[in-house]
Amino acid sequence: MIPAFRCIVNPVPVASPARRLYLTPLVAAAVASAALLAQAPALPNRPGTLKFAAMGDNGTGDRAQYEMAEQMAKLHATFPFDLVIMLGDNMYGGQSPADYVRKFETPYAPLLNAGVKFQASIGNHDRPEQVNYRLYNMNGQRYYTYTRANIRFLALDSNLMDKKQLDWVESTLRDAREDWKIPYFHHPLYSNAERHGASVELRVLLEPLFVKYGVNVVFSGHDHVYERIKPQKGMYYFVSGSAGQLRKGNMAPTEETAASFDQDLSFMAIEVAGSEMFFQTISRTGRTVDAGVIHRQSKPGATMPEADRWSAVDAGAQESPAGRQ
Amino acid sequence: MAKHPADGSDADDSPGIEGLGVVPAPSHGPVRRRIRRWRYNVPRLSQFAVEHLLLLPLGAAIALVWANTDPESYYRFTFAIAFAVNSVAMVFFFALMTKEVVEATAPNGVLHPWRRALLPVVVAIGATMVPALVHVRAVEALEEPMLAVGWPVTFATDLAVTYFVARVIFKIHPAIPFLLLLGIASDALAFLAAAVLHPARDLNLPLGAMIMAAALMVAYGVRRLRYRSFWIYMLGGGSISWAALYLSGLYPALALVPIMPFMPHAARDPGFFVDARPTARDALSQFELVWKYPVQVTLFFFGLVNAGVRLNAFEAGSWGVPIAVIVGKPIGILIAVAAALAAGLRLPSAIGWRDLIVIGLTAAIGFSIALFINDALLPPGQLRTEVGLGVLISLVAAPLAVGAAWALGVGRFAKH
Repeated sequence: MIPAFRCIVNPVPVASPARRLYLTPLVAAAVASAALLAQAPALPNRPGTLKFAAMGDNGTGDRAQYEMAEQMAKLHATFPFDLVIMLGDNMYGGQSPADYVRKFETPYAPLLNAGVKFQASIGNHDRPEQVNYRLYNMNGQRYYTYTRANIRFLALDSNLMDKKQLDWVESTLRDAREDWKIPYFHHPLYSNAERHGASVELRVLLEPLFVKYGVNVVFSGHDHVYERIKPQKGMYYFVSGSAGQLRKGNMAPTEETAASFDQDLSFMAIEVAGSEMFFQTISRTGRTVDAGVIHRQSKPGATMPEADRWSAVDAGAQESPAGRQ
Repeated sequence: MAKHPADGSDADDSPGIEGLGVVPAPSHGPVRRRIRRWRYNVPRLSQFAVEHLLLLPLGAAIALVWANTDPESYYRFTFAIAFAVNSVAMVFFFALMTKEVVEATAPNGVLHPWRRALLPVVVAIGATMVPALVHVRAVEALEEPMLAVGWPVTFATDLAVTYFVARVIFKIHPAIPFLLLLGIASDALAFLAAAVLHPARDLNLPLGAMIMAAALMVAYGVRRLRYRSFWIYMLGGGSISWAALYLSGLYPALALVPIMPFMPHAARDPGFFVDARPTARDALSQFELVWKYPVQVTLFFFGLVNAGVRLNAFEAGSWGVPIAVIVGKPIGILIAVAAALAAGLRLPSAIGWRDLIVIGLTAAIGFSIALFINDALLPPGQLRTEVGLGVLISLVAAPLAVGAAWALGVGRFAKH
């Protein structure tokens, strides 16, 4: 469950100057009291919107992963997302049937039982056979696409970015008629973590297509931290590779970094409402370490402002010097 | 590099011992004696081999620095020229490698007669299968099972670098032709394995086979008509062969490999990695004389295009290739030799088990061939980068081989 005190400071997203007026101390206190009583989640949680979670590098099978999964289940109780996008390295070490139970089915059982659908992409620690695992919903494909509400998702295989896949990405994006185009894959095109950093090789191949066909947001994992990148060529990039693995203190923020967190595990909760996408990054202890709203680009490659950060994010981001903007 | 009297050099270009083109020179005074000793100890290689040893590493070193300092411009540049280098210009590199092999089948060559190659070919099976198995197990243990797809890379042996290291260790020794034959057979298996296992491309083998048959018929017809110019073979059979490989989804860089054997060659092998005489009139020698300089440029760009890996992409799985080749090659060779001996084949008398360990470590240097197989097998992405890093790390096999030779008292370190 998300701690109540965070609900106090994040009663509503601040997407416009008018809304900011709510956050005068008195109004905020009033709203906070109501929010506390209602245990309202930090995201707008509007009916009819697409709600999903994003997590990467999760499948360790150890206690940390289980605690992270518990946070996801707690969030689900108040923010009923029905989709989880998996950003690769879904399983570390052994990948026997027993490992699938221990590293996936058991920790996420509350979500699976609630009908949440997981849509995986594969990372460098995954076995190729994962594409056939029923609960990853990859249907035997290394890369695939699906639509939810007004969003076109593309799950890519960044281990092997062959011409066939690139052609497929181009044709899929070209033909997509949805308002939002969201690719996700394991290796980040932008990252300022020290261990790996950006996969520039992939960026050179993929980014021109993303710009040309108006991709809005890109999610990746691989670096075991959380990082939100300032808009690059009109696109928002998130690195969320710490839902099971953590590289504490590994962030080396640069001017590209909008926000980051490297002190604990985290996952992302996202809500897409019309032309707005709200996001909230939640740590293993349930603290919000980053949150905000981004606005869909009006045209491909448009210059975009940084995400509107909500008026207050609780102490999570301040835990890490890297988390300060 | 072995020069010729026609070049004004003092070197003898007689065939030499074991077809290796190496002949001791007379001595005059202490300085000359020292120079002579140095030249005797440091093998003289053909211009082609020297370029292979200098320009390819130079290109690779620049690539490493560039990819790790300004990766975006590096990848933009190399992606733009990758096809021209890897699929077109490298045709001539592999053609020159094939020329060495074809000439080795002539009298005095290491492949003459063919049955001489039987044992190394049998041993090559062990020298490839064991590293491949070790690689698959190693990347599994290193928690990167995705990398298992790169096992054909562990087959590769860089003939020029291996030959150089072997000459440094063994000087003149039956181990050297044995090692060359082993390397040739291993590389042939590497290309075969990479062609069969092609995770990222669709193969159209029937179409390729039909067009390749036409290419071979053209080359055969030209040979029957007794044409002596290599241009006709290259532009006729070679072009069709390139199209066959390209359209079938295989590696067009190997286009001249099946064509080179049709070209008329010298009656006797001048030796492995020995320059062709400027006065030579046979098609193979003429081919070398024309293409050895363009191949210099090619090798530089090959290193530049294929060796630029980001060091921060290093993962535990990058150790897969070095572990596989450094552990697997010597073990595989020992097992295969034991099996061959049990089957009635015989090793050259001067080669013992300690020599085989050193041979195994020397054969573990895959470098140019391994980078090529990696590039041909895996598209851009994390897996190619990690395997490429592994190939570069595997270069440590060279000092390891020298160290093992010293520790085991092999070659120049033998205790008499």
